[in-house]
Amino acid sequence: MDQKSAGLNVTIFFCQQLDPNQDVNRRGLERELGRQLRLFPLPCSGRIDSLHLMRALESGADKVYVITCPEGACLYREGNMRAKKRIAYTRKLIEEIGLEGERIELIAATAGKPSTIDQLVRELLAREASFGPSPVRAK
Amino acid sequence: MITAERKPISEIKEMIAPYRKILVVGCGSCVAECASGGEKEVGLLASAIRMDAKASGKDIEVKEMTLDRQCVYEFIDQLNDVIDQYEIILSLGCGAGVQAVAEVFPKVHIVPALNTTFIGQTKEAGLWIENCRGCGDCKLGVFAAVCPVTRCAKGLFNGPCGGSRTDRCEVDPEVPCAWQLIVSRLQDRGRLDLLRKVHPPADWSKQQGKGPRKIYREDQRS
Repeated sequence: MDQKSAGLNVTIFFCQQLDPNQDVNRRGLERELGRQLRLFPLPCSGRIDSLHLMRALESGADKVYVITCPEGACLYREGNMRAKKRIAYTRKLIEEIGLEGERIELIAATAGKPSTIDQLVRELLAREASFGPSPVRAK
Repeated sequence: MITAERKPISEIKEMIAPYRKILVVGCGSCVAECASGGEKEVGLLASAIRMDAKASGKDIEVKEMTLDRQCVYEFIDQLNDVIDQYEIILSLGCGAGVQAVAEVFPKVHIVPALNTTFIGQTKEAGLWIENCRGCGDCKLGVFAAVCPVTRCAKGLFNGPCGGSRTDRCEVDPEVPCAWQLIVSRLQDRGRLDLLRKVHPPADWSKQQGKGPRKIYREDQRS
């Protein structure tokens, strides 16, 4: 079953450099999915912090994605590399409390394949749901 | 700066297990600089504890607060108005901070969330190195501001051991040989003469063996 049909709450932080029209392109999706989807544009994925990811999970997200520019294509040179390190750190932290590290995932956009944010998000929501609702939300 | 690292969550959970109302208290000074006990780390740990409790069906209350300094009474006083609402304080201060808070509030249970490690400097983003042992008898003026007590694996006062390879310590090749640094710096400054003096073994009585040390200054007292 895909993540949308499984009713998973998905929070997505994304680099707004990926899609110059992200502000318009994400609106339809947000209206369609309501509380099931929360989108947070970032000026660069390097702005993401472990605390953002933890608060997202604590607020009821079952899955958190961080979409970055392709490796080597960050406008600010290494923002996406920083995002990668912070995700790794936060994964370890949530594993310490028994949550699956995979609940936080980095998605590097594909180089040379221009996509709008709604396309990217739809692709993610169509992925197989590898786990159910977070125990943090379920109780 | 005093550096510290967070304890494993399992150890923290064990300490706070009997309690329901928990105040996580950070410190905005040294441990904030070394990214272990500042406001952000308080948020991370509090979030983790709340999520863990929720996932296991435990009903607890975890609040967050960060003092500018946990080792100074004037800042600890900020806890006065809130402390009665909690059963335990989980401190992200260094060992000095934890003990200072405990002294101000002797009836409140306070436990450490950090392991205090060493006095050091921020070498680069995400890297902290020990460079002072607090020996109580600083000789940095003689050794070109490189502490052989801390940075030489053998703590040598009178020249290198001879085991270094390509300027690196034989004990840990990732660490520069402290004596190489001392000699190069003094050479650059034209002060190799400082090394003519033979130094007796360190007087460790200034650091240990007499219980906790104290500094007393009449001029600073009220």
